[in-house]
Amino acid sequence: MPERSRVKYVFVLPGIIWVLCFTIFPLLYSLRLAFFQARLGKPETFIWLENFRRALFDDYRFWNSMSVTVFFVACSVVCTVSLGLALALLFNRPLRGQRLFRALFTTPLFTAPIALGYLGLTIFHEQVGAVNTVLLALGVENPPAWFSSIWPARIAIVLVDIWQWTPFCFLVLLAGLQSLPDEIYEAAWLDTSSSWDIFRHITLPLLTPVLFTVSILRMVEAFKVLDIPFSMTSGGPGAATQTYSFYIYLTGLRNFNAGYASALAYILLIVMLLISLSFFNRLRQIYE
Amino acid sequence: MYQGKSTLGGKIALWIVILIAVAWAIFPFYWAIVTSFKQPGVIMTTPSLFPWLQFTPTLANWKDEFTQRWPEISRALGNSLIVSVGATLVAITLGTMAGYGLARFRFRRWKNKDMTMWFLSQRFLPPMATVIPFFMVMKFLNLLDTQLALILVNATFTMPFAVLTLRDVFKELPKEMEESAWVDGASHFQAFFRIALPLAAPAIAAAAVICFAFSWNEFLFALILTYRNAQPITVVIAGVEHTQGVQFWFVATRLLIAILPPALLALTAQRYIVRGLTFGAVKG
Repeated sequence: MPERSRVKYVFVLPGIIWVLCFTIFPLLYSLRLAFFQARLGKPETFIWLENFRRALFDDYRFWNSMSVTVFFVACSVVCTVSLGLALALLFNRPLRGQRLFRALFTTPLFTAPIALGYLGLTIFHEQVGAVNTVLLALGVENPPAWFSSIWPARIAIVLVDIWQWTPFCFLVLLAGLQSLPDEIYEAAWLDTSSSWDIFRHITLPLLTPVLFTVSILRMVEAFKVLDIPFSMTSGGPGAATQTYSFYIYLTGLRNFNAGYASALAYILLIVMLLISLSFFNRLRQIYE
Repeated sequence: MYQGKSTLGGKIALWIVILIAVAWAIFPFYWAIVTSFKQPGVIMTTPSLFPWLQFTPTLANWKDEFTQRWPEISRALGNSLIVSVGATLVAITLGTMAGYGLARFRFRRWKNKDMTMWFLSQRFLPPMATVIPFFMVMKFLNLLDTQLALILVNATFTMPFAVLTLRDVFKELPKEMEESAWVDGASHFQAFFRIALPLAAPAIAAAAVICFAFSWNEFLFALILTYRNAQPITVVIAGVEHTQGVQFWFVATRLLIAILPPALLALTAQRYIVRGLTFGAVKG
Protein backbone atom coordinates (compact mmCIF):
# COMPACT_ATOMS: atom_id res chain seq x y z
CA MET A 1 0.00 0.00 0.00
CA PRO A 2 1.39 3.37 -0.91
CA GLU A 3 1.72 5.24 2.33
CA ARG A 4 3.39 8.42 1.23
CA SER A 5 0.49 9.66 -0.84
CA ARG A 6 -1.48 12.51 0.60
CA VAL A 7 -4.57 11.38 -1.25
CA LYS A 8 -5.60 9.28 1.72
CA TYR A 9 -6.45 12.42 3.65
CA VAL A 10 -8.89 13.43 0.95
CA PHE A 11 -10.84 10.28 1.73
CA VAL A 12 -10.87 10.54 5.50
CA LEU A 13 -10.83 14.21 6.34
CA PRO A 14 -14.22 15.39 5.03
CA GLY A 15 -16.07 12.96 7.27
CA ILE A 16 -13.90 13.70 10.27
CA ILE A 17 -14.17 17.44 9.86
CA TRP A 18 -17.93 17.27 9.44
CA VAL A 19 -18.52 15.20 12.55
CA LEU A 20 -15.95 17.18 14.52
CA CYS A 21 -17.59 20.51 13.67
CA PHE A 22 -21.05 19.37 14.55
CA THR A 23 -20.18 17.61 17.81
CA ILE A 24 -17.15 19.27 19.36
CA PHE A 25 -18.55 22.79 19.27
CA PRO A 26 -21.90 21.87 20.79
CA LEU A 27 -20.10 19.80 23.43
CA LEU A 28 -17.72 22.61 24.32
CA TYR A 29 -20.57 25.05 24.39
CA SER A 30 -22.62 22.94 26.76
CA LEU A 31 -19.55 22.28 28.90
CA ARG A 32 -19.24 26.02 29.31
CA LEU A 33 -22.96 26.33 30.04
CA ALA A 34 -22.67 23.69 32.74
CA PHE A 35 -20.64 26.09 34.87
CA PHE A 36 -23.08 28.94 34.49
CA GLN A 37 -26.36 29.95 35.91
CA ALA A 38 -27.96 30.31 32.49
CA ARG A 39 -31.56 30.63 31.47
CA LEU A 40 -32.36 31.16 27.82
CA GLY A 41 -32.63 34.86 27.12
CA LYS A 42 -31.24 36.01 30.47
CA PRO A 43 -27.76 37.17 31.47
CA GLU A 44 -25.43 34.38 32.53
CA THR A 45 -23.40 34.19 35.72
CA PHE A 46 -20.44 31.95 36.35
CA ILE A 47 -21.11 29.74 39.36
CA TRP A 48 -18.27 27.20 39.36
CA LEU A 49 -19.52 23.72 40.17
CA GLU A 50 -22.78 24.81 41.73
CA ASN A 51 -24.91 23.05 39.07
CA PHE A 52 -23.15 19.74 39.71
CA ARG A 53 -23.37 20.14 43.47
CA ARG A 54 -27.05 20.91 43.22
CA ALA A 55 -27.69 17.84 41.06
CA LEU A 56 -25.81 15.40 43.23
CA PHE A 57 -26.67 16.67 46.69
CA ASP A 58 -29.69 18.85 46.48
CA ASP A 59 -32.11 17.56 43.87
CA TYR A 60 -34.45 14.70 44.61
CA ARG A 61 -35.74 14.80 41.00
CA PHE A 62 -32.23 14.04 39.79
CA TRP A 63 -32.06 10.92 41.98
CA ASN A 64 -35.61 9.97 41.13
CA SER A 65 -34.95 10.11 37.39
CA MET A 66 -31.64 8.32 37.87
CA SER A 67 -33.29 5.44 39.73
CA VAL A 68 -36.14 5.26 37.21
CA THR A 69 -33.54 5.01 34.47
CA VAL A 70 -31.47 2.40 36.27
CA PHE A 71 -34.59 0.30 36.80
CA PHE A 72 -35.51 0.75 33.15
CA VAL A 73 -32.03 -0.14 31.92
CA ALA A 74 -31.69 -3.18 34.19
CA CYS A 75 -35.07 -4.65 33.26
CA SER A 76 -34.73 -3.87 29.60
CA VAL A 77 -31.20 -5.24 29.22
CA VAL A 78 -31.81 -8.41 31.24
CA CYS A 79 -35.10 -9.20 29.50
CA THR A 80 -34.09 -8.35 25.94
CA VAL A 81 -30.80 -10.23 26.15
CA SER A 82 -32.22 -13.34 27.80
CA LEU A 83 -35.31 -13.48 25.60
CA GLY A 84 -33.15 -12.83 22.56
CA LEU A 85 -30.80 -15.61 23.59
CA ALA A 86 -33.67 -18.05 24.16
CA LEU A 87 -35.14 -17.27 20.75
CA ALA A 88 -31.76 -17.47 19.06
CA LEU A 89 -31.11 -20.92 20.55
CA LEU A 90 -34.56 -21.95 19.37
CA PHE A 91 -34.01 -20.74 15.84
CA ASN A 92 -30.45 -21.99 15.53
CA ARG A 93 -31.45 -25.12 13.62
CA PRO A 94 -32.68 -25.98 10.18
CA LEU A 95 -36.18 -24.57 10.23
CA ARG A 96 -38.64 -23.98 7.48
CA GLY A 97 -39.50 -20.32 7.06
CA GLN A 98 -36.49 -19.05 9.02
CA ARG A 99 -35.96 -16.17 6.62
CA LEU A 100 -39.54 -15.08 7.09
CA PHE A 101 -39.13 -15.08 10.87
CA ARG A 102 -35.98 -13.06 10.64
CA ALA A 103 -37.72 -10.53 8.43
CA LEU A 104 -40.59 -10.38 10.90
CA PHE A 105 -38.19 -9.73 13.76
CA THR A 106 -36.46 -6.97 11.82
CA THR A 107 -39.43 -4.63 11.55
CA PRO A 108 -39.71 -3.66 15.26
CA LEU A 109 -36.12 -2.39 15.14
CA PHE A 110 -37.02 0.23 12.57
CA THR A 111 -40.29 1.34 14.10
CA ALA A 112 -40.06 4.95 15.26
CA PRO A 113 -39.93 4.79 19.09
CA ILE A 114 -42.07 7.90 19.35
CA ALA A 115 -44.78 6.20 17.30
CA LEU A 116 -44.41 3.06 19.36
CA GLY A 117 -44.99 5.04 22.53
CA TYR A 118 -48.31 6.35 21.23
CA LEU A 119 -49.26 2.88 20.11
CA GLY A 120 -48.37 1.72 23.63
CA LEU A 121 -50.74 4.36 24.95
CA THR A 122 -53.63 2.68 23.15
CA ILE A 123 -52.44 -0.87 23.84
CA PHE A 124 -52.20 -0.30 27.59
CA HIS A 125 -55.29 1.92 27.82
CA GLU A 126 -57.06 1.08 31.05
CA GLN A 127 -60.58 0.56 29.73
CA VAL A 128 -60.33 -0.36 26.07
CA GLY A 129 -56.67 -1.20 25.53
CA ALA A 130 -55.54 -4.49 24.06
CA VAL A 131 -53.68 -5.73 27.12
CA ASN A 132 -56.56 -5.25 29.56
CA THR A 133 -59.00 -6.67 27.02
CA VAL A 134 -56.96 -9.85 26.90
CA LEU A 135 -56.47 -9.91 30.69
CA LEU A 136 -60.24 -9.56 31.23
CA ALA A 137 -60.90 -12.33 28.74
CA LEU A 138 -58.47 -14.51 30.65
CA GLY A 139 -60.47 -13.93 33.81
CA VAL A 140 -58.26 -11.39 35.59
CA GLU A 141 -60.70 -9.39 37.66
CA ASN A 142 -58.83 -6.19 38.33
CA PRO A 143 -56.44 -5.58 35.47
CA PRO A 144 -53.78 -3.00 36.35
CA ALA A 145 -54.44 0.69 35.86
CA TRP A 146 -51.37 1.02 33.70
CA PHE A 147 -50.99 4.76 33.61
CA SER A 148 -52.26 5.82 37.00
CA SER A 149 -50.14 3.68 39.28
CA ILE A 150 -46.40 3.83 39.65
CA TRP A 151 -45.13 0.31 39.02
CA PRO A 152 -47.55 -0.67 36.26
CA ALA A 153 -46.55 2.49 34.38
CA ARG A 154 -42.87 1.66 34.75
CA ILE A 155 -43.47 -1.89 33.65
CA ALA A 156 -45.50 -0.72 30.66
CA ILE A 157 -42.70 1.43 29.25
CA VAL A 158 -40.20 -1.36 29.84
CA LEU A 159 -42.45 -3.81 28.03
CA VAL A 160 -42.65 -1.59 24.98
CA ASP A 161 -38.88 -1.23 24.96
CA ILE A 162 -38.48 -4.99 25.35
CA TRP A 163 -40.82 -5.52 22.42
CA GLN A 164 -38.72 -3.24 20.28
CA TRP A 165 -35.25 -4.49 21.21
CA THR A 166 -35.60 -8.23 21.77
CA PRO A 167 -35.41 -8.70 17.99
CA PHE A 168 -32.06 -6.91 17.94
CA CYS A 169 -30.62 -9.25 20.57
CA PHE A 170 -32.16 -12.19 18.76
CA LEU A 171 -30.64 -11.30 15.38
CA VAL A 172 -27.20 -10.56 16.76
CA LEU A 173 -27.05 -13.61 19.03
CA LEU A 174 -28.33 -15.84 16.22
CA ALA A 175 -25.52 -14.54 14.02
CA GLY A 176 -23.14 -15.27 16.89
CA LEU A 177 -24.43 -18.80 17.32
CA GLN A 178 -24.23 -19.52 13.61
CA SER A 179 -20.61 -18.48 13.50
CA LEU A 180 -19.55 -21.02 16.16
CA PRO A 181 -17.52 -23.88 14.68
CA ASP A 182 -19.39 -27.15 14.10
CA GLU A 183 -16.42 -29.38 14.93
CA ILE A 184 -16.50 -28.55 18.63
CA TYR A 185 -20.11 -29.57 18.83
CA GLU A 186 -19.55 -32.80 16.97
CA ALA A 187 -16.80 -33.70 19.41
CA ALA A 188 -18.88 -32.65 22.41
CA TRP A 189 -21.87 -34.74 21.45
CA LEU A 190 -19.59 -37.78 21.64
CA ASP A 191 -18.92 -37.04 25.32
CA THR A 192 -22.35 -36.14 26.55
CA SER A 193 -25.92 -36.31 25.43
CA SER A 194 -27.24 -33.55 27.64
CA SER A 195 -28.03 -30.38 25.69
CA TRP A 196 -27.87 -28.44 28.96
CA ASP A 197 -24.24 -29.52 29.47
CA ILE A 198 -23.43 -28.56 25.91
CA PHE A 199 -25.06 -25.17 26.40
CA ARG A 200 -23.37 -24.51 29.71
CA HIS A 201 -19.87 -25.70 28.90
CA ILE A 202 -19.58 -24.89 25.21
CA THR A 203 -22.17 -22.53 23.77
CA LEU A 204 -22.22 -20.06 26.64
CA PRO A 205 -18.44 -19.59 26.97
CA LEU A 206 -18.00 -19.30 23.21
CA LEU A 207 -20.84 -16.84 22.96
CA THR A 208 -19.68 -14.62 25.84
CA PRO A 209 -17.99 -11.97 23.67
CA VAL A 210 -21.15 -11.53 21.60
CA LEU A 211 -23.34 -11.48 24.70
CA PHE A 212 -21.07 -8.83 26.15
CA THR A 213 -21.27 -6.70 23.01
CA VAL A 214 -25.04 -6.96 22.85
CA SER A 215 -25.48 -6.11 26.53
CA ILE A 216 -23.28 -3.03 26.35
CA LEU A 217 -24.95 -1.74 23.20
CA ARG A 218 -28.36 -2.28 24.74
CA MET A 219 -27.30 -0.62 27.97
CA VAL A 220 -26.06 2.48 26.20
CA GLU A 221 -29.22 2.77 24.10
CA ALA A 222 -31.48 2.18 27.09
CA PHE A 223 -29.72 4.87 29.13
CA LYS A 224 -30.64 7.42 26.50
CA VAL A 225 -34.33 6.49 26.48
CA LEU A 226 -36.62 9.44 25.92
CA ASP A 227 -39.16 8.87 23.15
CA ILE A 228 -41.16 6.08 24.77
CA PRO A 229 -41.83 7.73 28.17
CA PHE A 230 -42.28 11.04 26.36
CA SER A 231 -45.13 9.79 24.23
CA MET A 232 -46.55 7.02 26.39
CA THR A 233 -46.66 8.37 29.93
CA SER A 234 -45.26 11.93 29.73
CA GLY A 235 -43.16 10.85 32.68
CA GLY A 236 -46.20 10.16 34.84
CA PRO A 237 -47.95 9.33 37.03
CA GLY A 238 -46.15 12.08 38.93
CA ALA A 239 -42.54 11.53 38.00
CA ALA A 240 -42.74 7.73 38.15
CA THR A 241 -41.52 7.22 34.59
CA GLN A 242 -39.44 10.36 34.26
CA THR A 243 -36.25 8.92 32.84
CA TYR A 244 -33.00 10.80 33.06
CA SER A 245 -33.05 12.10 29.48
CA PHE A 246 -36.62 13.17 29.98
CA TYR A 247 -35.64 15.10 33.09
CA ILE A 248 -32.89 16.88 31.16
CA TYR A 249 -35.40 17.68 28.45
CA LEU A 250 -37.83 19.18 30.96
CA THR A 251 -35.11 21.17 32.70
CA GLY A 252 -33.49 22.60 29.61
CA LEU A 253 -36.25 22.82 27.05
CA ARG A 254 -39.44 23.28 29.02
CA ASN A 255 -38.10 25.27 31.97
CA PHE A 256 -35.29 26.81 29.90
CA ASN A 257 -32.73 26.27 32.61
CA ALA A 258 -29.94 25.70 30.09
CA GLY A 259 -27.05 25.79 32.53
CA TYR A 260 -28.42 23.20 34.91
CA ALA A 261 -29.59 20.99 32.01
CA SER A 262 -26.08 21.06 30.53
CA ALA A 263 -24.62 19.97 33.84
CA LEU A 264 -27.14 17.11 33.97
CA ALA A 265 -26.26 16.16 30.39
CA TYR A 266 -22.58 16.06 31.27
CA ILE A 267 -23.29 13.72 34.17
CA LEU A 268 -25.07 11.43 31.70
CA LEU A 269 -22.12 11.71 29.33
CA ILE A 270 -19.75 10.61 32.09
CA VAL A 271 -21.95 7.66 33.03
CA MET A 272 -22.09 6.55 29.38
CA LEU A 273 -18.36 6.93 29.07
CA LEU A 274 -17.79 4.68 32.06
CA ILE A 275 -20.13 2.04 30.66
CA SER A 276 -18.59 2.10 27.23
CA LEU A 277 -14.93 2.11 28.27
CA SER A 278 -14.90 -1.65 28.77
CA PHE A 279 -16.60 -2.06 25.43
CA PHE A 280 -14.05 0.17 23.73
CA ASN A 281 -11.21 -1.97 24.99
CA ARG A 282 -12.74 -5.00 23.42
CA LEU A 283 -13.51 -3.25 20.14
CA ARG A 284 -9.99 -1.89 19.96
CA GLN A 285 -8.84 -5.46 19.39
CA ILE A 286 -11.47 -6.09 16.72
CA TYR A 287 -10.65 -2.90 14.81
CA GLU A 288 -7.00 -3.89 14.51
CA MET B 1 -24.91 -26.77 15.96
CA TYR B 2 -28.17 -28.38 16.73
CA GLN B 3 -28.20 -32.14 17.05
CA GLY B 4 -31.29 -33.30 15.16
CA LYS B 5 -33.04 -35.98 17.14
CA SER B 6 -36.31 -34.46 18.14
CA THR B 7 -39.49 -36.27 18.96
CA LEU B 8 -42.93 -35.36 17.68
CA GLY B 9 -43.78 -33.81 21.04
CA GLY B 10 -40.62 -31.76 20.96
CA LYS B 11 -41.47 -30.52 17.49
CA ILE B 12 -44.95 -29.48 18.49
CA ALA B 13 -43.63 -27.65 21.55
CA LEU B 14 -41.07 -25.92 19.37
CA TRP B 15 -43.69 -24.70 16.95
CA ILE B 16 -45.94 -23.50 19.75
CA VAL B 17 -43.11 -21.38 21.13
CA ILE B 18 -42.37 -20.07 17.65
CA LEU B 19 -46.02 -19.16 17.11
CA ILE B 20 -46.08 -17.27 20.42
CA ALA B 21 -42.93 -15.39 19.41
CA VAL B 22 -44.44 -14.49 16.05
CA ALA B 23 -47.71 -13.39 17.65
CA TRP B 24 -45.74 -11.21 20.09
CA ALA B 25 -43.79 -9.63 17.24
CA ILE B 26 -46.84 -8.92 15.10
CA PHE B 27 -49.33 -7.97 17.78
CA PRO B 28 -48.74 -4.19 18.01
CA PHE B 29 -48.99 -3.87 14.23
CA TYR B 30 -52.12 -6.00 14.22
CA TRP B 31 -53.62 -3.84 16.94
CA ALA B 32 -52.80 -0.64 15.06
CA ILE B 33 -54.34 -1.97 11.85
CA VAL B 34 -57.47 -3.24 13.57
CA THR B 35 -57.90 0.03 15.47
CA SER B 36 -57.53 2.06 12.32
CA PHE B 37 -60.66 0.35 10.94
CA LYS B 38 -62.80 0.93 14.03
CA GLN B 39 -65.44 3.60 14.27
CA PRO B 40 -64.51 6.29 16.81
CA GLY B 41 -67.67 5.50 18.82
CA VAL B 42 -66.87 1.82 19.01
CA ILE B 43 -63.30 2.36 20.17
CA MET B 44 -64.10 4.07 23.43
CA THR B 45 -67.07 1.93 24.43
CA THR B 46 -66.35 -1.72 23.72
CA PRO B 47 -62.89 -3.24 23.81
CA SER B 48 -62.44 -5.50 20.80
CA LEU B 49 -59.72 -7.37 18.94
CA PHE B 50 -61.36 -9.01 15.95
CA PRO B 51 -62.99 -7.22 13.01
CA TRP B 52 -66.32 -8.58 11.73
CA LEU B 53 -66.71 -10.81 14.79
CA GLN B 54 -66.75 -7.98 17.31
CA PHE B 55 -67.29 -4.83 15.26
CA THR B 56 -67.96 -3.74 11.69
CA PRO B 57 -64.82 -2.35 10.11
CA THR B 58 -65.00 1.05 8.47
CA LEU B 59 -62.75 2.94 6.09
CA ALA B 60 -63.82 6.30 7.52
CA ASN B 61 -60.61 6.98 9.48
CA TRP B 62 -58.43 6.30 6.49
CA LYS B 63 -60.68 8.42 4.27
CA ASP B 64 -60.38 11.26 6.78
CA GLU B 65 -56.65 10.93 6.86
CA PHE B 66 -56.33 11.10 3.08
CA THR B 67 -58.81 13.93 2.51
CA GLN B 68 -59.42 16.31 5.38
CA ARG B 69 -56.08 15.79 7.12
CA TRP B 70 -54.03 15.13 4.03
CA PRO B 71 -52.47 18.62 3.67
CA GLU B 72 -50.89 18.34 7.11
CA ILE B 73 -49.84 14.71 6.70
CA SER B 74 -48.45 15.09 3.21
CA ARG B 75 -46.38 18.08 4.22
CA ALA B 76 -44.97 16.15 7.16
CA LEU B 77 -44.23 13.14 4.99
CA GLY B 78 -42.56 15.39 2.44
CA ASN B 79 -40.40 16.95 5.17
CA SER B 80 -39.46 13.53 6.53
CA LEU B 81 -38.56 12.36 3.04
CA ILE B 82 -36.43 15.41 2.21
CA VAL B 83 -34.67 15.37 5.56
CA SER B 84 -33.99 11.63 5.50
CA VAL B 85 -32.81 11.55 1.89
CA GLY B 86 -30.66 14.65 2.35
CA ALA B 87 -29.07 13.37 5.55
CA THR B 88 -28.51 9.94 4.01
CA LEU B 89 -26.81 11.40 0.93
CA VAL B 90 -24.38 13.40 3.03
CA ALA B 91 -23.75 10.60 5.54
CA ILE B 92 -23.22 7.96 2.87
CA THR B 93 -21.03 10.09 0.59
CA LEU B 94 -18.67 11.18 3.34
CA GLY B 95 -19.07 7.89 5.20
CA THR B 96 -18.14 5.77 2.17
CA MET B 97 -15.03 7.82 1.55
CA ALA B 98 -13.94 7.76 5.18
CA GLY B 99 -14.73 4.06 5.46
CA TYR B 100 -12.67 3.35 2.36
CA GLY B 101 -9.83 5.53 3.58
CA LEU B 102 -9.73 3.76 6.95
CA ALA B 103 -9.86 0.33 5.33
CA ARG B 104 -7.28 0.87 2.59
CA PHE B 105 -4.65 3.30 3.83
CA ARG B 106 -2.50 3.33 6.88
CA PHE B 107 -2.36 6.52 8.87
CA ARG B 108 0.58 7.26 11.10
CA ARG B 109 -0.08 10.31 13.15
CA TRP B 110 -3.52 9.29 14.31
CA LYS B 111 -3.70 5.55 13.96
CA ASN B 112 -6.56 3.98 11.99
CA LYS B 113 -7.78 2.28 15.13
CA ASP B 114 -8.03 5.57 16.98
CA MET B 115 -9.98 7.22 14.21
CA THR B 116 -12.34 4.26 14.00
CA MET B 117 -12.84 4.33 17.76
CA TRP B 118 -13.48 8.04 17.60
CA PHE B 119 -16.26 7.53 15.05
CA LEU B 120 -17.67 4.79 17.24
CA SER B 121 -17.63 6.98 20.33
CA GLN B 122 -19.99 9.38 18.54
CA ARG B 123 -22.71 6.75 18.75
CA PHE B 124 -22.35 6.74 22.52
CA LEU B 125 -22.85 10.46 22.78
CA PRO B 126 -26.21 11.18 24.42
CA PRO B 127 -28.13 13.50 22.06
CA MET B 128 -29.35 15.34 25.16
CA ALA B 129 -25.82 16.68 25.64
CA THR B 130 -25.85 18.51 22.32
CA VAL B 131 -29.45 19.50 21.76
CA ILE B 132 -29.37 22.84 23.59
CA PRO B 133 -26.24 24.12 21.80
CA PHE B 134 -27.69 22.92 18.51
CA PHE B 135 -30.79 24.95 19.19
CA MET B 136 -28.69 28.06 19.91
CA VAL B 137 -26.55 27.60 16.82
CA MET B 138 -29.50 27.04 14.51
CA LYS B 139 -31.21 30.05 15.98
CA PHE B 140 -28.08 32.10 15.39
CA LEU B 141 -27.83 30.88 11.78
CA ASN B 142 -31.52 31.52 11.25
CA LEU B 143 -32.05 27.87 10.41
CA LEU B 144 -34.76 27.07 12.96
CA ASP B 145 -37.74 25.35 11.38
CA THR B 146 -35.89 24.49 8.18
CA GLN B 147 -35.27 21.12 6.61
CA LEU B 148 -31.61 22.02 6.25
CA ALA B 149 -31.15 22.13 10.03
CA LEU B 150 -32.49 18.60 10.37
CA ILE B 151 -30.41 17.38 7.44
CA LEU B 152 -27.24 18.69 9.13
CA VAL B 153 -28.15 17.09 12.45
CA ASN B 154 -29.16 13.71 11.07
CA ALA B 155 -26.17 13.52 8.74
CA THR B 156 -23.93 14.08 11.73
CA PHE B 157 -25.54 11.40 13.84
CA THR B 158 -25.80 8.72 11.14
CA MET B 159 -22.38 9.26 9.55
CA PRO B 160 -20.39 7.33 12.20
CA PHE B 161 -22.65 4.38 11.57
CA ALA B 162 -21.97 4.58 7.80
CA VAL B 163 -18.22 4.91 8.32
CA LEU B 164 -17.98 1.90 10.63
CA THR B 165 -20.15 -0.39 8.53
CA LEU B 166 -18.49 0.51 5.25
CA ARG B 167 -14.99 0.35 6.66
CA ASP B 168 -15.80 -3.21 7.60
CA VAL B 169 -17.18 -3.96 4.13
CA PHE B 170 -14.20 -2.50 2.27
CA LYS B 171 -11.83 -4.41 4.53
CA GLU B 172 -13.36 -7.65 3.33
CA LEU B 173 -13.10 -6.80 -0.37
CA PRO B 174 -9.92 -8.16 -1.97
CA LYS B 175 -7.50 -5.32 -2.56
CA GLU B 176 -5.57 -7.06 -5.34
CA MET B 177 -7.81 -5.66 -8.05
CA GLU B 178 -7.28 -2.12 -6.90
CA GLU B 179 -3.56 -2.69 -6.58
CA SER B 180 -3.29 -3.96 -10.13
CA ALA B 181 -5.28 -0.94 -11.28
CA TRP B 182 -2.75 1.30 -9.55
CA VAL B 183 0.06 -0.56 -11.29
CA ASP B 184 -1.71 0.05 -14.58
CA GLY B 185 -1.57 3.74 -13.90
CA ALA B 186 -5.03 4.39 -12.44
CA SER B 187 -5.25 7.03 -9.76
CA HIS B 188 -6.58 6.29 -6.30
CA PHE B 189 -9.84 7.91 -7.25
CA GLN B 190 -10.23 5.87 -10.42
CA ALA B 191 -9.55 2.67 -8.51
CA PHE B 192 -12.04 3.74 -5.87
CA PHE B 193 -14.80 4.70 -8.28
CA ARG B 194 -14.36 1.97 -10.90
CA ILE B 195 -13.47 -1.03 -8.76
CA ALA B 196 -14.17 -0.71 -5.05
CA LEU B 197 -17.41 1.26 -5.30
CA PRO B 198 -19.24 -1.14 -7.66
CA LEU B 199 -18.14 -4.12 -5.57
CA ALA B 200 -19.40 -2.53 -2.37
CA ALA B 201 -22.59 -1.18 -3.95
CA PRO B 202 -25.02 -3.62 -2.26
CA ALA B 203 -23.52 -2.90 1.17
CA ILE B 204 -23.59 0.85 0.54
CA ALA B 205 -27.24 0.61 -0.44
CA ALA B 206 -27.99 -1.31 2.75
CA ALA B 207 -26.14 1.23 4.88
CA ALA B 208 -28.08 3.99 3.13
CA VAL B 209 -31.36 2.28 3.96
CA ILE B 210 -30.40 2.07 7.63
CA CYS B 211 -29.29 5.73 7.72
CA PHE B 212 -32.57 6.66 6.09
CA ALA B 213 -34.53 4.78 8.75
CA PHE B 214 -32.56 6.36 11.61
CA SER B 215 -33.15 9.84 10.22
CA TRP B 216 -36.82 9.17 9.57
CA ASN B 217 -37.38 7.94 13.12
CA GLU B 218 -35.41 10.70 14.84
CA PHE B 219 -37.61 12.69 17.21
CA LEU B 220 -35.79 14.82 19.80
CA PHE B 221 -33.96 17.18 17.43
CA ALA B 222 -36.95 17.38 15.13
CA LEU B 223 -39.07 18.43 18.08
CA ILE B 224 -36.64 21.13 19.21
CA LEU B 225 -35.53 22.51 15.87
CA THR B 226 -38.86 22.72 14.03
CA TYR B 227 -42.19 24.17 15.00
CA ARG B 228 -44.32 24.47 11.85
CA ASN B 229 -43.16 24.37 8.26
CA ALA B 230 -40.37 21.83 8.55
CA GLN B 231 -42.03 19.44 11.02
CA PRO B 232 -41.41 15.83 10.01
CA ILE B 233 -43.91 13.05 10.59
CA THR B 234 -42.50 12.04 13.99
CA VAL B 235 -43.28 15.47 15.40
CA VAL B 236 -46.69 15.62 13.77
CA ILE B 237 -47.76 12.34 15.37
CA ALA B 238 -46.58 13.72 18.70
CA GLY B 239 -49.33 16.31 18.33
CA VAL B 240 -52.14 13.80 18.03
CA GLU B 241 -53.15 13.72 21.65
CA HIS B 242 -53.25 17.40 22.33
CA THR B 243 -56.72 18.36 21.21
CA GLN B 244 -59.17 15.99 22.91
CA GLY B 245 -57.26 13.39 24.87
CA VAL B 246 -56.09 10.29 23.08
CA GLN B 247 -57.80 9.84 19.77
CA PHE B 248 -57.18 6.20 19.07
CA TRP B 249 -58.26 6.29 15.47
CA PHE B 250 -55.90 9.04 14.38
CA VAL B 251 -53.18 7.50 16.45
CA ALA B 252 -53.61 4.24 14.58
CA THR B 253 -53.80 5.57 11.04
CA ARG B 254 -51.05 8.10 11.53
CA LEU B 255 -48.72 5.72 13.28
CA LEU B 256 -49.08 3.24 10.46
CA ILE B 257 -48.29 5.95 7.94
CA ALA B 258 -45.23 7.00 9.97
CA ILE B 259 -43.97 3.52 10.77
CA LEU B 260 -44.28 1.76 7.45
CA PRO B 261 -41.75 3.47 5.15
CA PRO B 262 -38.60 2.79 7.20
CA ALA B 263 -39.80 -0.58 8.51
CA LEU B 264 -40.52 -1.92 5.02
CA LEU B 265 -37.41 -0.39 3.52
CA ALA B 266 -35.27 -1.98 6.22
CA LEU B 267 -36.31 -5.41 5.00
CA THR B 268 -34.13 -4.85 1.93
CA ALA B 269 -31.09 -4.37 4.16
CA GLN B 270 -31.54 -7.69 6.03
CA ARG B 271 -28.10 -9.06 5.23
CA TYR B 272 -26.25 -6.13 6.77
CA ILE B 273 -28.40 -5.38 9.78
CA VAL B 274 -26.49 -7.39 12.38
CA ARG B 275 -23.13 -6.13 11.24
CA GLY B 276 -24.42 -2.59 10.92
CA LEU B 277 -26.16 -2.34 14.28
CA THR B 278 -23.19 -3.79 16.14
CA PHE B 279 -20.74 -1.55 14.23
CA GLY B 280 -18.94 -4.53 12.78
CA ALA B 281 -18.33 -6.15 16.18
CA VAL B 282 -20.49 -9.13 15.19
CA LYS B 283 -20.48 -10.44 11.64
CA GLY B 284 -23.96 -11.15 10.35
